[in-house]
Amino acid sequence: MSGPNGMLYGGDEIGALVFDPGHHSLRVGYAQEDTPKADIPAVIGVGPSTHIPDAEEKVPDGNITQSGNELRHYIDVTEIHVPRPGMEIQTYMKDGQVDNWDLFEKMLDYCYAKVIRSPSEHHPALFTEAVWTTRPAREKLAELLFEKYQAPAFFLVKNAVLAAFANGKSTALVVDAGASQTSAVPVIDGYAIVSAAVRSPLGGDHLAAQAKNMLNNMHIQMLPLYSIQSKEVIRERERARYTLKTLPAGLTQSWQQYMLKKQYEDFYHCVAQVSESSYDERTAASVPGVHYEFPGGYHQDFGPERFKLTECLFEQNLGAPHLVCSAAAACDADARPALWGAVVACGGLANLAGWLERVGRELAARAPSSHRLKTHAAPSPPERRFAAWLGGSILASIGSFQQMWISSQEYDEGGKGQLERKCP
Amino acid sequence: MADILDILDIEQPGTTEVTRDSILHGDKMKKKYVTAKAVRRPEGMHREVFALLYNDNKDLPPLLPTDTGKAYKQTKAKLGMRKARKWVWAPFTNPARKDNAVFYHWKRKSDETKEYPFAQFNKQVSIPSYSESEYNQYLKSEDWSQAETDHLMDLCQRFDLRFIVIHDRWDRAAFRDRSVEDLKERYYNICGILSKVKTNPWSNTVTMVNGEKRVYHYDAEHERKRKEQLRRLFDRTQEQIDEEQMLLAELKKIEARKRERERKTQDLQKLISRADSGNGLPTCQSAVQTEGISTPSAVSSSIARRHDRKLHKKKLASQQRPIRAVETVTVEWSGIKFPETRGAGVWLRSQRMKLPPGVGQRKTKAIEQELRLMNIDIAPTPSEAICKHFNELRSDLALALDLKNALTSCEFELQALRHQYEALNPGKTLTIPPSICNTSGDGDVKPLSEIIDVVGSPGALNNTI
Repeated sequence: MSGPNGMLYGGDEIGALVFDPGHHSLRVGYAQEDTPKADIPAVIGVGPSTHIPDAEEKVPDGNITQSGNELRHYIDVTEIHVPRPGMEIQTYMKDGQVDNWDLFEKMLDYCYAKVIRSPSEHHPALFTEAVWTTRPAREKLAELLFEKYQAPAFFLVKNAVLAAFANGKSTALVVDAGASQTSAVPVIDGYAIVSAAVRSPLGGDHLAAQAKNMLNNMHIQMLPLYSIQSKEVIRERERARYTLKTLPAGLTQSWQQYMLKKQYEDFYHCVAQVSESSYDERTAASVPGVHYEFPGGYHQDFGPERFKLTECLFEQNLGAPHLVCSAAAACDADARPALWGAVVACGGLANLAGWLERVGRELAARAPSSHRLKTHAAPSPPERRFAAWLGGSILASIGSFQQMWISSQEYDEGGKGQLERKCP
Repeated sequence: MADILDILDIEQPGTTEVTRDSILHGDKMKKKYVTAKAVRRPEGMHREVFALLYNDNKDLPPLLPTDTGKAYKQTKAKLGMRKARKWVWAPFTNPARKDNAVFYHWKRKSDETKEYPFAQFNKQVSIPSYSESEYNQYLKSEDWSQAETDHLMDLCQRFDLRFIVIHDRWDRAAFRDRSVEDLKERYYNICGILSKVKTNPWSNTVTMVNGEKRVYHYDAEHERKRKEQLRRLFDRTQEQIDEEQMLLAELKKIEARKRERERKTQDLQKLISRADSGNGLPTCQSAVQTEGISTPSAVSSSIARRHDRKLHKKKLASQQRPIRAVETVTVEWSGIKFPETRGAGVWLRSQRMKLPPGVGQRKTKAIEQELRLMNIDIAPTPSEAICKHFNELRSDLALALDLKNALTSCEFELQALRHQYEALNPGKTLTIPPSICNTSGDGDVKPLSEIIDVVGSPGALNNTI
């Protein structure tokens, strides 16, 4: 903490936890670490408790929390991905903020019991939130943390600010390409400019839907992985030969949809690529194809289609470059040069091959020539995906941040009304 | 000393070497030196090799490598000199917090009593405060209500005077939207008024200069204009930027052209004035000079145009004849301008007869040739009169040579045009009137004015200028 010559260095770690809830997953872990302890899908399987797990899907009881009305909640990949009759997939997120608080509580219970494995009253909790999170949602979260979980301290930070911190900037224009939406938020001196934040619904889910569309048009059947018992090795573009598993009856529609979406996500992560400039059949055809094998065993090369697929992310008025331009234009003229000089890209979709280059190119074409444009992104894919969490991890372990927490004492005295004041 | 002797291969004399050792313990060293003499360096062996074999105590080099150092025998590594200090997971209170919240962190057991070190970074901007009566007395404004002012001061405190953020978080539901400049203007206004009426100044807006309070004055009007300009600059479209670039390039071009034109006019003026002052040559010389000096300039092209006209009149050329063909008729600068006596001090008069450096080698040779033909000494005795006349003569000779050259080229041009004409109009022959036909073959010399008229009459030239 302090060196021999009285200099202060490093941070100060007080055992804080960082939660980064997103549409795709919830990241949770200790502050000062470089990756989250867990990356849990942001969905919860809700099924009847009457189902008795048989031998092959035996799980420790703790993973399954039981609620009053005889429903079981299945959390995390190992639980969700098991075919269970009557298990509905539900999400607690809506429009970038927590919507279903009962389900979210289940998720937090799971985090404390199974990931952190330590009582919640020992750990201050730092939560990330979307820029447009409403005041009731913020206050509800504070209430939950202090009253149910007895957290010693709590803090809320906007995820764009944290993503900027993770990239070593306090002033940045953060482009977050997430699962449900893409947003561009200007951050000045560590404060998000709420009025200038813009977003569009083009995200990973949209891309998955497009992938589904494309495969349907190509008459390729995407079978969910869980339904395949065995498959044979076949030649390229040959008809798939597989045997189906006998599945329990009564699998819900929402669960099947969720599992299929996972497949489409895998497909676009493996196959899709963003072309350098807007889609051109000839240049796309000159790039070697990518081979993909579907769960059923069918496999083929994907050539220009994989470039065409991603074009939906760069629509004229909804794509990331347009968002960045309009966010910058909405800011004060004095702040614009600094913002253009630090465009920070983060989010899971920013890992798509060529995405960053395309955004950089389009921005260079659109940015006013009087500004120096610089685009930053963390080099490794996990760092891009977990940018907001990483920023939270950094922030919560800085010594001078420790005075910012809303402590339980303060909460008891001032109530949740002070949240707006303390967490800008 | 011995080294030098060794290098020079001179036998060492019996004198002792003066080394540090010999001075410190003299006779002992001396004895050693005497024994050293016993082992003599074999003839032809290098000194360095010898020194390797026989060191001071005259031991023979060891046959086996020996290792007697303690280097590898050290059994225990000594890493730290002190005992490890203990770390404990201990509670702490942060003096920067007002609520005395207790958090836990790792710290050295020895540091347990110390204050939280990061508290020193708790820096806050000091924002002026005012009571209600003070507000009513001094700060009342038509534009701002007290609630709005309070809200502004509160935001200033919360966001440490980051006005862009304050503007963003401005409560637009309760108060009307204001620009960043409006907010700044109000804030600095309040600071100014309060620093005047209150005794304790605020560090960030008031500075003390020579014991006198200086309040930061915010020029909102100027800021608004600046911001508007900045906004316009940033909001330019690509077409506007391109147009601006194009216009700037055009402006540069126009200015360059203007400068060029001015330069030429100046040159021309100079020539005219030189011609007008009259240096003994007929006025028509200036025309030749003019063309010679500014060869590719507008003047020469105007002359060329006149050429053209003349040739047209005389039906010497067809319409398609390229103008460039005429422009090739260039006459070099003629006559020699001898420099005035330069500088103070004594100088030889023969210096005045020296050709200036501007005159080329070929011209010098040609002049000398001419002088030889006239049986004139190349370097006559430089009396005052001879000097003057000799220089004039050489200047005239140079002019004559240039004119001769011009004539030849014009003649060539004329012939070339004739051939061109005949080639374009087969069957026709062009008869060149004898008045413009060079008759150099006959040897009879035309009057000077007639020759020079090839390039246009001086009167006409002067008119155009």
